[in-house]
Amino acid sequence: MQELFQLIVSGLATGGVFASLALALVLIYNAMGIVNFAQGEMAMFATFIAFTLISRGISYWIAVPVTLVIAFGGGIAIQRLVIRPVERAPVLTLVIITLGLATLINGLAGVLFGYIPRAFDSPFPPSSYGVFGVYVGYQDLGVIAMSGVVLLAVYLLLQRTTVGLTMRAASHHPEASRLLGVSVSWMLALGWGLAAAVGAVSGIMVAPVLLLEPDMMQTTIIYAFAAAVLGGIESPLGAVVGGLVVGVTVNLVGVYVPFVGGDLQLAVALAIIVAVLVIRPNGLFGRASSRRV
Amino acid sequence: MSALLELEGVHAGYGPTSVLHGVSLEVPEGGAVSLLGANGAGKTTTLRAITGGVHWTGNIQFDGRPLHRMSTEQIVRRGIAHVPEGRGICTELTVDENLKLGAHRRHNDADLRKDYDRVFAYFPVLKERRRLSASTLSGGEQQMLALARALLMKPRLMLLDEPSLGLAPIVVRAIFEIIRTINRENKVAVLLVEQNARIALELSSHAYVLEVGRVAVEGESAELQGNESVRRSYLGY
Repeated sequence: MQELFQLIVSGLATGGVFASLALALVLIYNAMGIVNFAQGEMAMFATFIAFTLISRGISYWIAVPVTLVIAFGGGIAIQRLVIRPVERAPVLTLVIITLGLATLINGLAGVLFGYIPRAFDSPFPPSSYGVFGVYVGYQDLGVIAMSGVVLLAVYLLLQRTTVGLTMRAASHHPEASRLLGVSVSWMLALGWGLAAAVGAVSGIMVAPVLLLEPDMMQTTIIYAFAAAVLGGIESPLGAVVGGLVVGVTVNLVGVYVPFVGGDLQLAVALAIIVAVLVIRPNGLFGRASSRRV
Repeated sequence: MSALLELEGVHAGYGPTSVLHGVSLEVPEGGAVSLLGANGAGKTTTLRAITGGVHWTGNIQFDGRPLHRMSTEQIVRRGIAHVPEGRGICTELTVDENLKLGAHRRHNDADLRKDYDRVFAYFPVLKERRRLSASTLSGGEQQMLALARALLMKPRLMLLDEPSLGLAPIVVRAIFEIIRTINRENKVAVLLVEQNARIALELSSHAYVLEVGRVAVEGESAELQGNESVRRSYLGY
């Protein structure tokens, strides 16, 4: 029972990482109807920026916000320079461009920062906090708290501010939004900026666990895909719930199903993707899409 | 008299298909003008040209300034509210959020509150349903929401694309009554596209009849109403 509880808490911590990255995917999916395959690489690159700042002696709690601002600007720059010129291209073209972007960012990180895995120090103590015989790592608690703050911030931005309102309107009804004076193109750029910043948080949170190197996010992004699909690829709330469910499930299955163990955990994520697409293609929170013909 | 909106020899179309072949028309400050004609005559395209939704050549001026090469959002920020065909309601959002979207560029709180009061006086049903999803509204209520949202933009000109479409006659009456009030009391100029020529001519003072992308007839609304041959050949009643 104690073990189960501990596994759930550490699953929620990994789930928080997945949730942030999945939320980033959803933000871009809502803005332009495609899955951004470069999301993980963008997060990895941002994590290298944080690492560089921290290794120059800047405090973690200053380096992280600075990194998020840089990531936000970088996301906007990518949308303006790379995506916008091909905005009206077919979906497949856009998807290929994000794949190219992923390769490009991965290579760039290799050239700039090298391929040697680096230890990324966590600001949280490695010890655990025990109540009633259940030990919960401060690292896990810290990650859960950080993802909670990020997700809440995104929620408040989208639901409670005018900018958030215009972003939501622009993503669902671009034509009508333009007629109301919304600069749809800039809303898309803002979506990319926001996604880049939210994704960066996932990279920064997962780096102490995985070691920082250019391929760091390549499995995490698969879990994030699973989370986003499970929640319904259009639903920010779904991404969060999906992330937590995937995190906990993978953790529990890894321990309690000997056949899966640590090696086949990624296959669990893929199984979730396939199962959702077959059984409930709109995910847990997605609305059934219909079109009048 | 200088016109608030002026179109001169406007050609427009979609890709290789041209729809407008030199349309010229004027809407005076605070005026009410109908744009009538059969399906496919180019009424909607004319409105879309004005707000930059379709590629056009020729000359369009609003408030004495040309609208050429301006984006849709720049044009509407100059003071044109365009209620498109199908009303353009954001059905994922609540009624309140749709209204906020109309007002999102405005900052003057006292002024804005007055406009909200006015809008809710016109359409009490919207106040009752503020918190509901816009998708739960009936067709008539969605048209009311579209008009309310357009009013909150504080426009000088409203472009209305078939506000009567798909609505019961009694609802159409009520909505046109409010359009008249908006025009007369709030001094908002109206360019009204309608299939229902009879009710449009009652509202407007001047009218244009489009036929295959050209202005076939124009004149005072009362005059067109009284002219039986025009009514028969172009207006179908």
